[in-house]
Amino acid sequence: MTGLGPVSSIGTGAAAFAAALRAGASGASPITGFDATGFPYRNAGEVRDFDPRAHLRRLDPARWGRSGQFAASAARLAVADGGLDPDRIDPARAHAVIGTTSGESAVAEALTEQVVGGGFPAQDPELVARLPAHRLANAVSEELGLRGESLTVATACAAGNYAIGYAYDLLVSGEADVVLAGGADSVCRWAHAGFYRLGALTESRCSPFDRDRSGILTGEGGAVLLLETFEHAEARGARIHAELLGYGMNCDARHAVAPDGASVAECMRLAHRNSGVRPEDVDYVCAHGTGTPTNDLVEGRAILEVFGTEPPPVSSIKSMIGHTMGAAGGFGAIACVLAIAEGFLPPTINWANQDPDLVGIDVVPNQARRARVRVAQNDAFAFGGNNAIVMLGAVA
Amino acid sequence: MVITGWSAVTAAGIGAEALARRVADPASAGRGVVVDGLSDVPLPAPTGHALPGFDVRAELGRKGTSWYDRTTALAVVCCRDALRSAGAPAGGDDTARIGVALGTTLGSHKSVSDYTRETLVQERPYWVNPALFPTTVMNCAAGQVAIRLGLRGVNATLAGGPLAFLNALRYADTVIGRGYADVMLTGAAEEYAPHRAWAAHHTGTTANVPLGEAAAVFVLAAAGEGVTGPRVLAVATGYAPGGGAAAGQALGGCVARVLRRADVDPAGVSAVFTGEADSRDTREFDAVTRVLGRAPERVLAKPMFGECDAASGAVALAVALSRADTGQVLLTAVGADGAVGAALVEVGA
Amino acid sequence: MAHAENRLEELRELVADVLEIEPEELTDTGDFMADYEADSLRAIEILARIDKRYKVEIPQEELPGLTNLKAVHDALARHSGGRG
Repeated sequence: MTGLGPVSSIGTGAAAFAAALRAGASGASPITGFDATGFPYRNAGEVRDFDPRAHLRRLDPARWGRSGQFAASAARLAVADGGLDPDRIDPARAHAVIGTTSGESAVAEALTEQVVGGGFPAQDPELVARLPAHRLANAVSEELGLRGESLTVATACAAGNYAIGYAYDLLVSGEADVVLAGGADSVCRWAHAGFYRLGALTESRCSPFDRDRSGILTGEGGAVLLLETFEHAEARGARIHAELLGYGMNCDARHAVAPDGASVAECMRLAHRNSGVRPEDVDYVCAHGTGTPTNDLVEGRAILEVFGTEPPPVSSIKSMIGHTMGAAGGFGAIACVLAIAEGFLPPTINWANQDPDLVGIDVVPNQARRARVRVAQNDAFAFGGNNAIVMLGAVA
Repeated sequence: MVITGWSAVTAAGIGAEALARRVADPASAGRGVVVDGLSDVPLPAPTGHALPGFDVRAELGRKGTSWYDRTTALAVVCCRDALRSAGAPAGGDDTARIGVALGTTLGSHKSVSDYTRETLVQERPYWVNPALFPTTVMNCAAGQVAIRLGLRGVNATLAGGPLAFLNALRYADTVIGRGYADVMLTGAAEEYAPHRAWAAHHTGTTANVPLGEAAAVFVLAAAGEGVTGPRVLAVATGYAPGGGAAAGQALGGCVARVLRRADVDPAGVSAVFTGEADSRDTREFDAVTRVLGRAPERVLAKPMFGECDAASGAVALAVALSRADTGQVLLTAVGADGAVGAALVEVGA
Repeated sequence: MAHAENRLEELRELVADVLEIEPEELTDTGDFMADYEADSLRAIEILARIDKRYKVEIPQEELPGLTNLKAVHDALARHSGGRG
């Protein structure tokens, strides 16, 4: 892992994002992406003043949706952070893999407004062309001139980790020299309404693992990492931030929205096994930690089951950036890389009271902490029971 | 990978036999059937390659299906039938090693748009139905397949539009090759709805062929002793920045790659199943003939089954398996931007 | 009284639809989860439909107690105030 490209509500670019994680910054703000009038809760982790033109060199933002712009901007930032000139690599061996929950949701909503206003014939064809979800990965391929696979993984809130996992497979199986992998999503009305209706939305402060946690804060952004084979990175003298050790995936096959503890625990074991890691090797867990009563309880208990009564520190960066959906796995992976490379644990902010059901879980409350992190675990779980956990390690 | 079973739900009906009948008599497709029963608003075209009589309740019962969108319903029914045809157990100890990889364009466009519409037209924007929320997420269909059939292995949804099925095939190939699962139900689904019909109309994808709906799913397993059936020999996808003529070049590259990977003589390729809508469009076929150095038979699935977007490639493979061909055939696809892909399949062995 | 009975029958239809059963199958005290295979999402859907239909918001904190039709009916009456 040689380059980081976060476009987030608490900072854009690796340095700004790292500083915000250390400071325990909050990205929550009143929603501007859509008219939130009439919603009881009107806050989200929006990327304010996002200007794709500040990042993009080839892509014409006018032809692409907001999520694609996030993905391409994040990818551009990642190659810049990694000091990689995409014009000097073998483009056929360079791939783009982007995870997402809602794809070009802002485009879908703009079109729906047109339909509500004037019926289906009134839709703008240019806007319709921006709708397909696969354009997220295509935006990255287009921006960087990559000729390898261009794959958008649509496994909801675990999609970022699926993407990073698939990138790992491309690298170890000899298909790739370089992969840009991560996720992107945009804040949208329908998800805000749906989560509110499920009783899963919090008013303004997301407080994962707190006794009184009340739900998620919807968020958005793009989170892309530059991954290379060791040989490729070494040959060009790249600075290697961290190593991708492997990952695990499974499926609850039980319920559309409720997570299953045994399955989540099994996914952790799978990730460890596939990565050649023992539980006692893990120094930090970057939790899925959405802030809903159910998720955090299920995840916390699974951690206690897998790691025993003294698990490694567990924190949720969603307390800071909200739930960025398909980008969440990407942001989590970036946080893990920073934890490993810079020696600190990102905090869980807005934390006040110990949950009596989660005794033993150290959530790194409110303040970042200096720590030596050799192995980190990045959790992501999704609707549909799609689970994916990525393991990262310090360079051996 | 070996295809140990498959099924399809298409305009021709539910199941492989219905599909085979239409393949044997392509003229029976015509311009499709009257589709106004599938929409409460005017449609851009009166007919399409849809299956208006498809009733998920009749197939799966009422319990647990009342909130399904049509994409999910098509996918679940098709996966059930595909698994049955493979003779694999739908329960038991090894379900953790059976996974799902489905291709899509954006899930159910109708579900997403209708949900948003509710937030706009209801007295309060949050008066949406929580039970329908999962249908707004693109992995709804694959997740429900897993739940309904009890499949706990890798569960993935791959977006790709025209490339979606080849993306799913490529993904399944990786999952099985890397040992994350033993069996992958691999396919794609796309529903007939006014949202898709109008989107296709606006972008011109149905200018020369009616819109279609379909699900087609293949049960894939690693090649090995006692595992028999048609074989997916190789899959390759790529991207051509800028699209256009570069996409043809890139597609040729994918074709060359699958032939090389499978170590197959180009002379052995008997037919190519392209994503082209009609015989006047030769962008994919030209790329194939350039690489092969000759023109094999070209088969177009779309005139028979309509523009099925993400499911187009899956329907094309189903068509290939229904014919009496033997030897190797190619599947190809090109996206609207610059995405391209090809698969090499050995049929009728 | 007739009004209250109408309300109960209306609710029976609404809840049965959510539970994917016929109204005749739904008894006043049959347990949603144990007897009709409902899950938490179904229960949330019942509250959402009541909110939309009767403009009455029953807080989600009461969900654990809303295990049968009678309990839902009582909760609706309790939160309707003068409007019931």
